[in-house]
Amino acid sequence: MLWKNTYNELIKISAKPRSYIGIAALTLLIAIILFAMKADGSKYISFVTSSFEQTLSFNGNILNGNLIAFIILQMLIVHIPLLVALVTGDLLSGEAAMGTLRMLLTKPISRKQVVFSKLIAAAVYTLILVLWLGFLAFIVGRWVFGTGDLIVLNSDGLVILKNADVLWRYGLAFLVAFLALMTISTLSLAFSAFANNSIGPIVSTMAVIILFTIIGALDVSVFDHVKPWLFTTHMASWRSLFNNPVPWSDIKESVWILLAHNVLFVTIAVYKFQKKDITS
Amino acid sequence: MEEAIIEIKGLQKSFGGFQAVKDVNFTVKKGDVFGFLGPNGAGKSTTMRCMLSLIMPNAGQIRLFGKDLINERNAILSRVGSIVEKPDFYKYLSALKNLELFARISGADVQRKTILKTLDFVGLAGRENDKVSGFSHGMRQRLGIAQTLMHQPELIVLDEPTTGLDPQGIIEVRDLILRLKNEQGKTVILSSHQLSEIELVANRMVIIHKGETLIEGSVSELMNTQQTLLHLEFLDAKSTEAAAFIAKLWPGQDIQITSPKTLQLQIEKSRIAILNQNLVGAGFEIVAIEPKRKLEDFFIQITKS
Amino acid sequence: MKILFLFSLLFIGQAFYAQNASQLVKAIRLKLEKVNDYSVDIHIKAQVPMIKIDEVDAKMYFKKPNRIKVESKGIAILPKQGMAELNYFLSDEKAYTCAMNGNKMLNNVNTAVVSVIPLGDQSDIILVKLWIDPKKELIMKSQVTTKSNGTLDVTYYYGDQAKYGLPYKMVFTIDVKNFKLPKSVAADLHQNKKSPSNTSQKGTIIISMRNYIVNKGVGSSHFKN
Repeated sequence: MLWKNTYNELIKISAKPRSYIGIAALTLLIAIILFAMKADGSKYISFVTSSFEQTLSFNGNILNGNLIAFIILQMLIVHIPLLVALVTGDLLSGEAAMGTLRMLLTKPISRKQVVFSKLIAAAVYTLILVLWLGFLAFIVGRWVFGTGDLIVLNSDGLVILKNADVLWRYGLAFLVAFLALMTISTLSLAFSAFANNSIGPIVSTMAVIILFTIIGALDVSVFDHVKPWLFTTHMASWRSLFNNPVPWSDIKESVWILLAHNVLFVTIAVYKFQKKDITS
Repeated sequence: MEEAIIEIKGLQKSFGGFQAVKDVNFTVKKGDVFGFLGPNGAGKSTTMRCMLSLIMPNAGQIRLFGKDLINERNAILSRVGSIVEKPDFYKYLSALKNLELFARISGADVQRKTILKTLDFVGLAGRENDKVSGFSHGMRQRLGIAQTLMHQPELIVLDEPTTGLDPQGIIEVRDLILRLKNEQGKTVILSSHQLSEIELVANRMVIIHKGETLIEGSVSELMNTQQTLLHLEFLDAKSTEAAAFIAKLWPGQDIQITSPKTLQLQIEKSRIAILNQNLVGAGFEIVAIEPKRKLEDFFIQITKS
Repeated sequence: MKILFLFSLLFIGQAFYAQNASQLVKAIRLKLEKVNDYSVDIHIKAQVPMIKIDEVDAKMYFKKPNRIKVESKGIAILPKQGMAELNYFLSDEKAYTCAMNGNKMLNNVNTAVVSVIPLGDQSDIILVKLWIDPKKELIMKSQVTTKSNGTLDVTYYYGDQAKYGLPYKMVFTIDVKNFKLPKSVAADLHQNKKSPSNTSQKGTIIISMRNYIVNKGVGSSHFKN
């Protein structure tokens, strides 16, 4: 029954116009970034390298597909959560708003299975977004700008990674980014279990992300004990994969914290949804 | 002893401080078309939703097909088809896609041809590929009924199935319910706030009021033993004389003169024919004789008796 | 005794080379002028604070007077200057004047320290200090101070191509105190954990040369951008 309903959920997502907003927005944004980089990328590069260029010269194709993919990933990881929440925040509450939840929950499928099938569908949708992002950023980026070594600006300096050393990092980075976005999916799903309209969970999810991001960015010692536990702090941990050497323990810690958040949010969603009286 | 399909005992449910259902009890037997009657706000919808596990009751027992709803929910619901409130569908999907979606999780193996046959049965043949967003209310109602029937359930639960339908639609739904009972031997429970609707299709019924069961029994018995508000209209302005005649016939009878030509009185159904004979025999020219069984009046009587 | 010997050697050496600072530089200039062009495989090892980069192989092309081009498959970090500027500067003997600045032991070689001062203020170069092996007429170390880029130290090691004055290894010492990172760009995760890097460190770039092909012609296509 779980898989049958998961199939149903995928049909619903694929038929809903809003599911394509994310993909269209992503495509447009990346197209704009690619165009901008093609037109004026060297300025962007010199912004990064300028402080070094007094004494050093950078030889080789810096503005390549690898760098473009990195720039795109870095720029969009802030905005994709909205696109994800747009679909995942609607999964339970949207059915309540439409009235179809009554129909769905009078069928011989347990509510836990309903939540899990929606979770799996949400994961598939999130994965498709990430893969699409990966395709556009990485494949199209390489196609337009060619390949080359990747130059990454971290807080403690520049890291230059060999072209051959980049692919596996991107693979893992997209996985970690997927996990980060799944945290958004499960958060919005949890909100969705509480609401009877579709806009509430989406707005709530974004509000939480903004709040946590601001707390994370505030340089106030009061929040120092809180920051390491905010999921938003760990959403950028894919970036650590582009350090040399890779700080595996940091990444592992982030992955665990993100996973824990996922489990927590799903538990909340299942608990609330099982207890919920369907009065809509 | 006939098999009990639905047994509800001591059902209670409150939302916050408001107790929607205080003590509802009834039993639906196999083959019944069972009327679930009560005014708006009586707790019908809450009871129906409890029966379908949409709402978790605070106390009481719900057994369907002899099984406990909480423990064997999925086994029970695979044998039930239902419409709660109104049938809502995924508007962005076609009628067929919608039914396929629900068929997939109905617990039965429903073939596409069965779905198409059911669509034909409810009069939606040829519209299967149209998006539900373009359907009228009546069409959605029929699609809803198709949804309740396609997996061949033994029990059909219809919550206010004629709400919002035009007269033709109401008649169609009535016919459909009778066909389900007579041709397919299904057990049907339908809720309504209109006694007339229940009377026409149901063989047994329960009446609830303010969250409590008032009375349960066979429709014909309840209708006959219970009093009816009878409305009489005469050709001439003779209502005062007629009232005096009836008072002489049945001393103590409560009669209200509503206009020079009309009057009304509470009377048992079985006595309507006798009254008619006597009035005609006395030379009163009757234009209309109309039993008005308003549910509210019915409740008042029941609560009085 | 030993000290005395060394001291006298030093003294005599200084007296001798003082008159010959210009000649020493001239000898080097003439040696360098023999090179019309070359291509060479280079291996770059950059150890610069705030930059993490693996070692890189590349190919370097030179053509008179001062055209130089490094072709690398990936990204290579090179000193901004010092690959050809010095040679070009020395090639015009009217542009500078030389002065002996004593002797110094450098890698077991008693080098003559020569200051080369540009005449006029056209040049970007303010001062050049050369540590010259007087016997082999090779620059062992150079220190170039420019208006735009501060001071750059380069140490040279010679092998087969010493006859052209071409080293097999150059070690650049770079001052990194001016490196500043754009703040907002580097919004990464664990930035709070690490204290900011010591900002007045020295970095080195070691360039090793192999397979020199000298004066066999280098196509100008290599110098196109």
